[in-house]
Amino acid sequence: MTHVYLDKLTKVYPGANEAAVSDFSLDIPDGELVAFLGPSGCGKTTTLKMIAGLIRPTRGRITFDGEDVIAIPAEKRGAVMVFQNYLLFPYMSVGDNVGFGLKMRGVDKRTIRQKVQEMLELVKLPDISDRRPNQLSGGQQQRVALARALITEPRVLLLDEPLSNLDAHLRDEMRELIVSIQRQLKVTTVFVTHDQEEAVLLADKIALMFEGVLQQFASPDEFYQRPISERAARFFGGVNFIDANRNGNKVETSVGNFVFNAKNSDNAPEGDSVLTIRPEQIAIGHDVPNGENVVTGRVRSRIYVGTYTRYKIAIDDCEIEAIRSADLPGEINEGDEINVHFPSDRIWFVPRNSN
Amino acid sequence: MTFWERWRIPIMLAPTMAIVIILFGGALYYGFLQSLGWQPRIGNTELSLDAYNNILFAGPQTEQFWRGLVLTLWVSFASTFLSAVLAIGSALLLRQTFVGKRVATFLFQFNLPIPHVVAAIGILFLFSQSGLISRGLAQIGVIGAPNQFPIVVRDSLGIGIILSFVWKEAPFLGVIVLAVLQSLGEDYEDLARSLGANRWQRFRYVILPLILPGLLSGSVIVFAFTFGSFEVPAILGVRFPRMLSVTTDRFFRDPDLNSRTEGMAISMIIAVIVLVLVFVYQWLSRRAIRQE
Amino acid sequence: MATTQNLERTTSMQDAPVITEAKSPLAGVLRYAAIGLILLFLLLPLLTFLINAFAFRWFYPQFFPKELSLQAWDNIFAPNFKVGEALWNSTLIAVVVTWVSIIIGIPAARALGMYKFRYKRVVEFFILAPIIVPGISISLGLNINFIRWGLSGTIPGVMLVHLIPVMPYVVLTLSGVFANYNADFEDQARTLGAGPIATFRYVTFPAIFPGIMVASLFAFLVSWSQYILTFLIGGGQVITMPVLLFSTVPGGRNPNIAALSLVFIGPAILILILTSRFLSGKSAIGGFGQI
Ligand SMILES: Nc1ncnc2c1ncn2[C@@H]1O[C@H](COP(=O)(O)OP(=O)(O)OP(=O)(O)O)[C@@H](O)[C@H]1O
Ligand SMILES: [Mg+2]
Repeated sequence: MTHVYLDKLTKVYPGANEAAVSDFSLDIPDGELVAFLGPSGCGKTTTLKMIAGLIRPTRGRITFDGEDVIAIPAEKRGAVMVFQNYLLFPYMSVGDNVGFGLKMRGVDKRTIRQKVQEMLELVKLPDISDRRPNQLSGGQQQRVALARALITEPRVLLLDEPLSNLDAHLRDEMRELIVSIQRQLKVTTVFVTHDQEEAVLLADKIALMFEGVLQQFASPDEFYQRPISERAARFFGGVNFIDANRNGNKVETSVGNFVFNAKNSDNAPEGDSVLTIRPEQIAIGHDVPNGENVVTGRVRSRIYVGTYTRYKIAIDDCEIEAIRSADLPGEINEGDEINVHFPSDRIWFVPRNSN
Repeated sequence: MTFWERWRIPIMLAPTMAIVIILFGGALYYGFLQSLGWQPRIGNTELSLDAYNNILFAGPQTEQFWRGLVLTLWVSFASTFLSAVLAIGSALLLRQTFVGKRVATFLFQFNLPIPHVVAAIGILFLFSQSGLISRGLAQIGVIGAPNQFPIVVRDSLGIGIILSFVWKEAPFLGVIVLAVLQSLGEDYEDLARSLGANRWQRFRYVILPLILPGLLSGSVIVFAFTFGSFEVPAILGVRFPRMLSVTTDRFFRDPDLNSRTEGMAISMIIAVIVLVLVFVYQWLSRRAIRQE
Repeated sequence: MATTQNLERTTSMQDAPVITEAKSPLAGVLRYAAIGLILLFLLLPLLTFLINAFAFRWFYPQFFPKELSLQAWDNIFAPNFKVGEALWNSTLIAVVVTWVSIIIGIPAARALGMYKFRYKRVVEFFILAPIIVPGISISLGLNINFIRWGLSGTIPGVMLVHLIPVMPYVVLTLSGVFANYNADFEDQARTLGAGPIATFRYVTFPAIFPGIMVASLFAFLVSWSQYILTFLIGGGQVITMPVLLFSTVPGGRNPNIAALSLVFIGPAILILILTSRFLSGKSAIGGFGQI
């Protein structure tokens, strides 16, 4: 419902030497679910609080549907934040917690009660209105916090690490709830996480940031197929990096010469660069035929991980990792010499690291 | 092994409990017996409620007692309330970041270790008719002589006493409130803001309820203390009405041993009133917190 | 289809506006004014002691005395004034009371802070009761018992009564420490071969040391400031600083009173400054309630 635009947002905390967030620009389309992803301390919460109006940016602009909101105080901005540790008011009942935002707007009691009930049903907790926050489980508290945020019909919903305090199975449940509510209400939503898997499972688009700087803003599969840097690739579980020199679709590397043939290859660097490929996209085995982009390697080690097996393979001086489904025919043992295929539409290039 | 397991906790508690029960409980017990007229030394072992009757209804000191009770209640309620208000205001001011915050906070806590006797004397030096404020006003020509300065210490409304208590207790409560505010951080307020609460609403619906438990338990201590405190009213009070603790002390110092009985009766009445008020207060404040 | 955005391309080229933190200057001035007023109220009485203690013939409308003198200091340190005796007694009593209260308070605090047991609330109530019931209410009853035990008018007797208001604060402060204390460290030390004494010495004590410092501060200050119990149990024979100061007030000789007050509060402030780095958090502050 709201198109959020961040223009060169920068925050330098008083007394800090470096900016916590610098020149952060992002275009969040109406009704999308966007993840801010990055390691601890990279400025995710700071950015979220700037959107909410809780922190004034040192520089930059924020617009909602084209309207500059910097001067609008948090309480009037309509960007509601849900904090990582829920922060249910301990001295209020669950119902009063959920109704808080409406009470602040002077809505009459009857309407509040009715809306509270609707919201609690939305988060699938219809019968706990009279309980105290300390009588709820972590998952329930999280849902109440969500209901409390949604009751004011925010223009933008901001979730700070909504799943990080929950255990694994609650996390799945909560994730589905967030997605379904978001789809239902179509509220523009930003959520913060440091877990790439969570970002991939939830978000329409992911904004990856390191040290206060936006690295890449793209759909989840893009981060797997076309990472922008070695560091971004590693953050998404990439492990194979081979120095290369690319010239159009001709690639020279220390392990052999390859052909590069990916869609959307515009952004891939040319010249001295690093070839990367995800371990699950490398085909290995005695049955892999010789041909283009196929080299031979020796199996160093194998780890059986249930549905698949992880292999470390030496190709000349290089070691790569590959994953192979456990139920493919043909056994591969340690020490075997096998064919390794780097599919020409699966390899990708990132800039050579300067350091 | 089992002996230790069974008796461990009682043994750990024993020395402290001995002090409380033997010294404190014993003193209350003998004080109570005395208030009933039990004085074996002068051969009086018959128990009666005469002393209570004399104090409460029909004795030369009855009026002093009732007027003293009113004064004592007034002084302790007013001191507690004003201290709490000043404490909240100071804590909210000191919580923000500003240049000189550390110094201000240090100075704010500076009088915590200063004894009440000294507090009373300081208020006397400052607010008496020839005190520093009076002199200051005379210097700038607002008043011409000491007797033009209003009587605020050794006055019958106990204003000097209240000033001393507020001087001592506001920083005490303020430090408690400040500690609560700092341990909570600003997340609750940020959250309330993002849900649409304005400045006043954030104070009323977020800060106040969060500091209330600490503030209430701190102010119970302040109330109980001011109710029974002796030094301050002894230095800053008037002859009539006297706060109850001072009246009690008068009785104790009286050479007539019978008046000790009456002194004991008053001190028992003080103890009962404080206990009852503290219980009522606790009960009310629990309810208030629950209803928030 | 979503494509990777080239960041240089999407950011607008014109420089984003610089936002200065909006702080109204009026709010800043008002805050300093309010803080200044509060501090003035809190510090002016202390200033009066300094002025009075050195004032000589400080006639009425003068704000600061025209003449200064050390007369008051000579007066109070004259032998018949007994400041030396009072300082010694006060220090001795406060130090012994502090030690004793800590030693007997530690096990009680541990029991209350770490274990659940029946009648815990009752025990807590009893331990806290001396905070609520005023000293004046128990002093005469105490005196009767102390006369019978031959402790009335003696220093040990005064030390004993000081334990009554001191114990609640010590136990309260330390039980807060034990409530956040992880006893697994002790078990770990035991399995590594430490006996009970070594365990206390090397594990328990260092862990609760900050709490002990805070509790000691309160114990010392409560004892140091105690007037009414000292006076009624000491029966005028045990002269401590508050007893001496209190007895000088009716004389109305302000310079003497002021000088004596400064001698009295000096050690209290010193002790506070020495231990202040241990003071933090809410539980640590409760102890100031009865000083
Ligand atoms: N109030 C503040 N004052 C000064 N520096 C701050 C403040 N809040 C955060 N920082 C600093 O700004 C940087 C970014 O902090 P931020 O909380 O935004 O990180 P984050 O990405 O949310 O991390 P996490 O995943 O740990 O929550 C950090 O280096 C942090 O130390
Ligand atoms: Mg964060």
